[in-house]
Amino acid sequence: MAGPLEFAPAIAALPFVSFVIALFFGRYMPKKGALAGITATAGSLLLAIWTYFTVMGNGEPHTEHLHTLVAVAEPFSLELGILIDQLSALMLLIVTLISFLVFVFSLGYMNDEGETGLPRYYAGLSLFSFSMLSFVMASNLFMAFMFFELVGLCSYLLIGFWFREDAPPSAAKKAFIVTRFGDYFFLIGVVGILATFGTSAFIGTGGTESFPALAEHALTGSADHVHTFGFDPQTWFTILALLVLGGVMGKSAQFPLHTWLPDAMEGPTPVSALIHAATMVAAGVYLVARMYGFYALSPTALAIIAFVGGFTALFAATMGVVKREIKQVLAYSTISQYGYMMLALGAGGYVAGVFHLTTHAVFKALLFLGAGAVIVAMHHDEDMWKMGGLKNELPVTYYTFLAGSLALAGIIPFSGFWSKDEVLYEALRLGLNDPVFMAAYAMGLIAVFFTGFYTFRMVFLTFHGEPRTNIAESPHQYGWNMKAPLVVLGALAVVVGLINMAPLAKLTGMDLTYLHHWFENGGELLTVEHYHHLLTEVSGVHHVENSTGLMLGSGALSLGLALAGVAVAHVLYNVPSPEEHTDKLGSIKTVLFNNYYQDEYQVWLAEGLTANVARAANTFDQGVIDGAVNGVSSVSLFAGERVRRIQTGVVTNYAALLTVGLVVLLVAMGLLGGWF
Amino acid sequence: MIAAKYYLLLSAAVFCIGLFGILTRRNALIFLMSIELMLNAANINLVAFSAQHGNLSGQVFSLFTMALAAAEVAVGIGIILVLYRNFDDVDVTTATSMRW
Amino acid sequence: MTTRPRLKLGSHLLPGLAAVALFTVMAAVFLQGNFPAPAGFGEGSVLRSIGMAMFALEPSIPSANFLVAFEIIDVVLVAALVGAVMLARREGNDSSGSVRTDGGRGDDR
Repeated sequence: MAGPLEFAPAIAALPFVSFVIALFFGRYMPKKGALAGITATAGSLLLAIWTYFTVMGNGEPHTEHLHTLVAVAEPFSLELGILIDQLSALMLLIVTLISFLVFVFSLGYMNDEGETGLPRYYAGLSLFSFSMLSFVMASNLFMAFMFFELVGLCSYLLIGFWFREDAPPSAAKKAFIVTRFGDYFFLIGVVGILATFGTSAFIGTGGTESFPALAEHALTGSADHVHTFGFDPQTWFTILALLVLGGVMGKSAQFPLHTWLPDAMEGPTPVSALIHAATMVAAGVYLVARMYGFYALSPTALAIIAFVGGFTALFAATMGVVKREIKQVLAYSTISQYGYMMLALGAGGYVAGVFHLTTHAVFKALLFLGAGAVIVAMHHDEDMWKMGGLKNELPVTYYTFLAGSLALAGIIPFSGFWSKDEVLYEALRLGLNDPVFMAAYAMGLIAVFFTGFYTFRMVFLTFHGEPRTNIAESPHQYGWNMKAPLVVLGALAVVVGLINMAPLAKLTGMDLTYLHHWFENGGELLTVEHYHHLLTEVSGVHHVENSTGLMLGSGALSLGLALAGVAVAHVLYNVPSPEEHTDKLGSIKTVLFNNYYQDEYQVWLAEGLTANVARAANTFDQGVIDGAVNGVSSVSLFAGERVRRIQTGVVTNYAALLTVGLVVLLVAMGLLGGWF
Repeated sequence: MIAAKYYLLLSAAVFCIGLFGILTRRNALIFLMSIELMLNAANINLVAFSAQHGNLSGQVFSLFTMALAAAEVAVGIGIILVLYRNFDDVDVTTATSMRW
Repeated sequence: MTTRPRLKLGSHLLPGLAAVALFTVMAAVFLQGNFPAPAGFGEGSVLRSIGMAMFALEPSIPSANFLVAFEIIDVVLVAALVGAVMLARREGNDSSGSVRTDGGRGDDR
């Protein structure tokens, strides 16, 4: 039997097959394509688990060339290929697991609720799984871009699933346009990287090197082999990194391209769980982690990433405090947590960033699925102020949701604590040397308080207290196809933190940082050691020394802030009939509730600014360019109109013309022939 | 013998007089007469070169040309009759239906 | 009282300038040419020689054979006569199979 890495393309191909089946044959199937999707993702999950264990044993990453799109050697060729290394194996596992659980959950959320148009839904989910898995396995930046776009398309299709109402298609368009705006810069970045390095591969194969390796050579040695278009290599690489960051910020919903994510909650909740919590928004962060060898060379880009991440974490957390709908709170929470991941990656904490990505995928998907269960129970009403007291009616949901909330808030020993603590610790270590990072760290730290607050405000309003409406008193029950994924994810949310418990390892001296060890292996240019080398040697980014006291101190500080937030929420909302305390904030609440008017601002940018530019461009196009083409044809028409008047119909005119022509010919021939 | 070039000059003169008639006259019958003039100019040319080279085929050919001219005039008169029937006038400048 | 015919002068004579131009060009060419001395036709009646030459009855007379052309011009003359008669025939109401050549006006004149 061939090794499992030979079957790696099947991980993505299986969901594609289920996409085709659901699209064309879904309406004839009993569950409208769900079973095809479930079997496909289950198969992908098994293959991903097998791949994971294979990679655990291997040293070198596995690359495979699939197809060449454009086969020219100069200046570059465009290829499709697979790269399976530690990072992609981990991500494959996460994506296939969440995808599988979401498919199972959809049986309860969509099929059992009697939704229509399900073949389209399952086809969209399968296509999304295919594109996300292909994105994870991409071996070069061009292929990653292709699937980045395809993932955005699936998001558009799925957000706008209930397209006959007003809000979902509008939200779908907004999501697509805002991410597309970021992807425009990404595309320019991809073209720039291809033009600069001649390759966009993430890892070197055979004779060619990867572009991070080429960039490193350009900075440490000579920059002869790369075209930097007249810029200093460091500056040019920073520009390229920032261009690619545009796409990352769009996809991972960082400020200012975050406005699409709350509106994306118009889609079905399983879609929100899969795409807008765990996988698609993770694509941006994953891309930065994939290209970390390139980003690590540019301290400016890292600083920008960290600052934007920290700012977004705080920014979104403040907005999550005043929301009424449960999915909106979770949406802002997602934006905020991805800010943490960007903060980690910007501060040089590669392991911390990927760790938080993993734990967040688990507990955020759990929270969204739990919210979906609550929504189904409340007959599709999302307003938390109409809920209350659901913990007695929906115990499974309550306990799993509580596990997810404790993880989100970052309470020990749940997974979120370990990962968020590591993120903040890395930021602090760098912040003690550099004020920009200190500001980012401070913002991330304050956001911990708000995170704890809004998370438990959500829990208490939904599950504790007295039921505030009739539906809350007797909610709609649901079956095991919705409870089982919740239980699985709930268990994972508790234990997944065990993979990298750095503070405990420091205290006890035991070797508990498994994730760190996981990333120590791999291709020589894709390991944590290499990234650390790049950061310190090439970029001059220096962290403060790793000390136990600092680690425990920062851990205690973040834990304390989180518990403080939980305590404030407990005092305010864990009462039988909570009131809307946020009204006391007055005008601040108005600003927060209106999302700092960012949506209106972006609409103004589009209508006031861009529309005018577009109008001018349109006038130019129709007037000048179309005018030139029309002018050419009108010259022909006009000339023909005039020239045809020679045909007067009078014979003597024709005779005169003949004679004149003859005379001219004779004179010409005579002059040439020397008759005169 | 008169030199050939004076015959050629005569022939050119007669041809251009006929051409002048075509270009300026409006009556269809005068038009036909002018055509006849041009044909006869060609005949003069033929005979002149026949005398120049001493070969009689030029003169014989001019006889045939004359016969052809007669046939052409006969058909031409028929056409003018039809023209008159349709346009009520023998003026060639009134028959301008086939124009732009 | 009738007036004598007057020569009509006017702008309609302008195309005639093309004919004048053609004449000047041809005259300019011809007057510069130099031909060798013309050969005559020998002794005897030229008319008789023409008749003999037309049908190549006397080989000593230099000419081409115009017998075929003679026959063909005979046919052409007949065709011309027939055509002229056909064109000149007035269309009658009771003439069957006649081609109407009135340009589509459709009324009898």
